[in-house]
Amino acid sequence: MIEIKDLHKNFDDLEVLKGVDLTIRPAEVISILGGSGSGKSTMLRCINGLEEISSGSVVVDGLDVTKKDELKAVRKKCATVFQQFDLYPHLKVIENITLAPVQVLGVSKTDATNKARALLESVGLGDKADVYPAQLSGGQKQRVGICRALAVGPDYILLDEVTSSLDPEMTAEVLEILKNLANDGMTMISVTHEIEFAREISNRIVFLDQGKILCDLPTADFFSADGGMADPRIAKFLSKMGTGS
Amino acid sequence: MYGDDGFTIFDLQLWAEGLGISAWVFITSSILGLLFGVLIGLIRYYRISVLGKILMLISEFLKNSPVLVQLFLVYFGIPALLMIDLSPVEAAIITLSGNTAAFIAVIVISSIDAIDKKQLEAARSFAMSEWQILKLIIYPQSLAFAMPMLVGLAINQLQVTSLVSVIGVVDLTRVGDIVNLRTFEPFIVWPVIGATYFVLAKMIGIAGSKLENRFNRYKRVTNI
Repeated sequence: MIEIKDLHKNFDDLEVLKGVDLTIRPAEVISILGGSGSGKSTMLRCINGLEEISSGSVVVDGLDVTKKDELKAVRKKCATVFQQFDLYPHLKVIENITLAPVQVLGVSKTDATNKARALLESVGLGDKADVYPAQLSGGQKQRVGICRALAVGPDYILLDEVTSSLDPEMTAEVLEILKNLANDGMTMISVTHEIEFAREISNRIVFLDQGKILCDLPTADFFSADGGMADPRIAKFLSKMGTGS
Repeated sequence: MYGDDGFTIFDLQLWAEGLGISAWVFITSSILGLLFGVLIGLIRYYRISVLGKILMLISEFLKNSPVLVQLFLVYFGIPALLMIDLSPVEAAIITLSGNTAAFIAVIVISSIDAIDKKQLEAARSFAMSEWQILKLIIYPQSLAFAMPMLVGLAINQLQVTSLVSVIGVVDLTRVGDIVNLRTFEPFIVWPVIGATYFVLAKMIGIAGSKLENRFNRYKRVTNI
């Protein structure tokens, strides 16, 4: 379980998160929506300590991310997939995936490689194990990014706008994989602009506005006329994104 | 056996000894310079206290003043200051190591800067330690970036070793001077000495470009 309590985050004078409370239970799939600058990516980055929190608390399965020794354990539980993939360019695809399992979890190279090959196979990249990231398309890179995250056997997957750098066709191939993961019961927190995707995979939708949670509703309620849509700010956001009715 | 003019077999021996001294000064000062330069660069990169700033200030001085002046400073200055004996070869190695380190530090910093920092964040998010990140992600990529600069620096520092002859180190250049004074054959002696440096520099260049190819393999793949 991830428990975020009264989370504040400032960048110098700019207050990005102004007291966020959120609890994520196992097997939940939560989409975090909100306009640019609403603080949604920052919130995600606070969960695994990529951003230092200003006040409040973030606790993952009883581990406090503000404590250095506990942060490492949190990071072993939470794997992130990044908007710009952020693969290691000097390593082959397979090495990108096995690096953390071998170095951090102490898995043997053989076991890590076998698992990585199986993961690549499952996302349709079985033949790309021995190429470098520069030889892949954006969609393929992101699928490797997903494999890299899954390879550490995470309890939580954090998705940071994973389709924002992809064209619609590549987006579809990545979303398909994530949808399957959600169906398999993986706990996921997804920051996204893909309203339709959020609608399809999430149990809950959290709408962030100016650093505060405006609403936190089950997906069906969020999209119903008397639920989230009743709030003019959410209705406006959804209509700008070209969905919601 | 020593004639007033004409070359003897001993000139060849002298040449080999000079070559040995030049190579020794070059290799030791390159290794020491590399070690200290990397250390200074890393201290600066990780912003360890004011030490980084002080070391960079010293590097600035070493980069922007003549090596010959530094050589005199070390050779005449250190023995007087510390009341110790310093042989010309020791002074030469100390000076060239410091000078090389100053240039290496700058190369290290710019090579690390050239890496996309977001992948380091990704590695951190996977619970990798800073040491693992340095060793497995920063080092191989910055080395690939630094390789051409390191090769250029090495070739340049090889030529700079010829300056140590002025404090009495009997290196390749000094050997040239000695043989030339005896034989009065400057158009034979100096081309031979020059060609020796040329061959050494070429060897460094060839070895360097081989290494460069190896470290840059991941960059030369075709994009789709």
